Amino acid sequence: MNEIIQGFVEAIELIFSLNPEVIEITVRSLYVSLSATAFASIIALPAGAYIYFNEFRGKRAVINLLQTLYALPTVIVGLAVYLMISRSGPFGFLGMLHTPQGMIVAQTILIIPLITGLTVSALSGIDREMRYTIISLGSSQLQSITTILREAKFAILAAVLLGFGRAIAEVGTVMLIGGNIRGLTRVLTTTIALNTSMGNFSLSIALGIILLGVALVVNVVLNLVQRG
Amino acid sequence: MSSGTKLLTLSLAAILALGICLAGCTGTETPDGQAIPNETATKTAAPPEGGAVLKIATTTSLYDTGLLDMIEDTYEEKTGVDLQISSQGTGIAIELATRCDVDLLFVHSPSQEQDFLDAGYGINHRCIAYNFFQIVGPEDDPAGIAGMDPVEGFRVLYEKGTAGEPGVLFVSRGDNSGTHSKEKALWDMAGYDYETEVQGSGEWYIEAGRGMGETLVLASEKDAYTLTDEGTFLAFQTDLVLVPIIDQGDALLNRYSIMAVNPEHCPNVNIEAANNFIDWIISDEAKEMIGSFGVEDYGKALFTPLYPPECTTSPFNCTCAEPVSQA
Amino acid sequence: MIEAQSIKKVYGEMEVLHGVELSVGEDDIMGIIGPSGSGKSTLLRILDLIEPPDSGDLSLFDVDVVEQRDRVVELRRRMGMLFQKPIVFNTSVYENVALGLKYRHVGKNEIDRSVKELLEEVGLARYLRSNVRNLSGGEQQRVSLARVLVTDPEILFLDEPTANLDPKSSETIERLVMRMNRDRGMTVVMNTHDMLQGQRVAKRIGVMIGGEILQVGTPREIFYAPHNTKIAHFVGVDNIHDGKVLRREHQITAVEVAGTTLYVGEPPPTHRDRVKVIFRGEDVTIGIGETAQTSARNVLNGTIAEISDIAPFMHVKVDCGFPVSALVTVRSAEEMEISEGKPAWVSIKASALHLIAESEEREG
Repeated sequence: MNEIIQGFVEAIELIFSLNPEVIEITVRSLYVSLSATAFASIIALPAGAYIYFNEFRGKRAVINLLQTLYALPTVIVGLAVYLMISRSGPFGFLGMLHTPQGMIVAQTILIIPLITGLTVSALSGIDREMRYTIISLGSSQLQSITTILREAKFAILAAVLLGFGRAIAEVGTVMLIGGNIRGLTRVLTTTIALNTSMGNFSLSIALGIILLGVALVVNVVLNLVQRG
Repeated sequence: MSSGTKLLTLSLAAILALGICLAGCTGTETPDGQAIPNETATKTAAPPEGGAVLKIATTTSLYDTGLLDMIEDTYEEKTGVDLQISSQGTGIAIELATRCDVDLLFVHSPSQEQDFLDAGYGINHRCIAYNFFQIVGPEDDPAGIAGMDPVEGFRVLYEKGTAGEPGVLFVSRGDNSGTHSKEKALWDMAGYDYETEVQGSGEWYIEAGRGMGETLVLASEKDAYTLTDEGTFLAFQTDLVLVPIIDQGDALLNRYSIMAVNPEHCPNVNIEAANNFIDWIISDEAKEMIGSFGVEDYGKALFTPLYPPECTTSPFNCTCAEPVSQA
Repeated sequence: MIEAQSIKKVYGEMEVLHGVELSVGEDDIMGIIGPSGSGKSTLLRILDLIEPPDSGDLSLFDVDVVEQRDRVVELRRRMGMLFQKPIVFNTSVYENVALGLKYRHVGKNEIDRSVKELLEEVGLARYLRSNVRNLSGGEQQRVSLARVLVTDPEILFLDEPTANLDPKSSETIERLVMRMNRDRGMTVVMNTHDMLQGQRVAKRIGVMIGGEILQVGTPREIFYAPHNTKIAHFVGVDNIHDGKVLRREHQITAVEVAGTTLYVGEPPPTHRDRVKVIFRGEDVTIGIGETAQTSARNVLNGTIAEISDIAPFMHVKVDCGFPVSALVTVRSAEEMEISEGKPAWVSIKASALHLIAESEEREG
């Protein structure tokens, strides 16, 4: 219990003293996870829209698969990507292991199924009669899709935010792919893991609070943008 | 288009720019100096001197003492080489080395090190320093093994544990770490086959499957015995009810060694930088620094450096001072 | 304008449309009435090219839509539809109404003008910039109507558009639709289950029961001369009785119903002698006592068997050997002191009786 209270205190100290390494780690966390969310969204939103708007054989199976992948363990993704980009792996020549770029790629892969699946859900929440209305107003295929996406934008934003949340809070992938190297690939979650392993519980809690604070800020900003 | 979208684009751009720039920088001042180390040396933004990068994989129990951060800062300032140290556990360290993702291994698992050398994956093995593992346990010592020879203590633990004597429990790392290797070696020395006789031999033997700190916490919760390295135990001591039960004996020797990845196995290895580093760390200057580490935070030195000819004989049986570079 | 033949539509295991025939000409206001579940909404969606039929022929504006599938968006842009529930987009009233015009790439100035004009028409000009979600249901439906009308459709489909609305909104919508038909020659196809609305608004009525259009005609024809008993039941004909044709005399057909001879002012529907005689409760005159005071051709005596209140009317069933249902105003009933058990007479004009051929009825 003491550790939790002390954690809060340390969090405030770290923030207000503008501790450089904490800032570095926090910015890197944001850089990696925001980039991953952006790339994943660029792929997942159109993919989700495509799946929703088109009928094809195996559509049900695809949606089931996506929803199953929500539960992708992060370590598995980390491991799979590691085997790909390790020096001895097929993409080793890219030299992406133990770099923030590699971490971005891995996190993007991790959250694409989540954002895609939730985009399909978001669009499915649009009333059938609304689709009819849009068609009957004489929309082309593209106009129809744009209007529906606009109507679903709250739910789609929720999908993106959830993807971001999963990315910034995960450890397994960034640990394996980044290596938790000081000054190079350390992020909030891996630092928390390290400190916990070292027994520095209150510092871990402090960093955890900072992580939540960062997530809150991102949330607020995106919601404001959405309204604007 | 809308002002909202502009705000979003600007924020994203700002974060990305910061991220890219900070990808190479770091600051180091911290509150009470833990994994945000209390060294004042600043890493340079981009490695100078033609950009030499040396990648080292190490174990958590070694890294968590903070020794490597100190070594990193010292070496980087001295040579300008960018040391990139990754600590994810002995198993992963060896995998990284086998797969050519690092240049150097800095571990404490002699049997696994030997396998690595025998397979031709590693070269230029040097032992650096040592300390002792400890068998820690509940203060009242229900198995009555305090002060015994470690192998004998293990024997008694096995007999009483399998007999179901109350209070006799043992928690194992169970994760193929260096510490776990030592534990297995001890069972072996006590005359038991690990896989058939120790593993799954009863409720007394608990496999944690996790890091040293968490294993200690688990053992403390269960009032059990466990094998630990000194550094982690000191770091967690205030949160534990455990005390050292047996901490003397050659069998508890914890030897730290370094070796480079063989360029014949991995052509991309930065063998030059690796060899330079090995030469430095076996130097007297480095050994002195290692030998005085820990006094400030723990009241005692955590590592005893190895000097010849002591290191060439039993129980160390390794090379500790011969330079590797031709130069 | 619209020619539909043998339209079939299946959802899963269920065939919703069994072969619909419908023909709607320019300037027509076709009201489609029928019980819920009869497939009215499905039919409208198919005619508006929102969903394709599973089989059948459909031609709009003389264009065969099955053959010329690639013209579907072009055709849709000449039509419009208003649904039962107001469907509005989460944005301003202006943006909602402008949507169809934006789809058609109309210029901003023209959009501005047209939108404002139509909002005036539906009485919502002051809500131009408000978010639609803040409006009442009736107001939202008016916005939806404005959105459809602003694109100047040649055919307008309405799917029970005023079913859940307040009287003012309903009236505004009806009035506007009829005016569009009158002034711009807009063809209208409207689903409704409100038969009074059907009679008020529609020029022709189609009765849809069980996935088929069973009869199309003027309101008068539908309500007074339905083709079969199914339609008769649906349009509220109270009196449907088995009869046997006795003879034909000039314009009158004598039919025996339960031992009584009734005189019907129309020829028998077929050469067979089995028929059904039907007439509406409103066309039955009723009086207390034994002596009738009427010039009607059919006068029957009987006893008042049952009275039920459907304010402001009263439903009176008189047992004359067979039950005759009369619909009288509550006031008249009170004045006549109508009560169960009293002797009464009923009279029905020959012209109020209608004959249906028994063989026309479809079983099941």
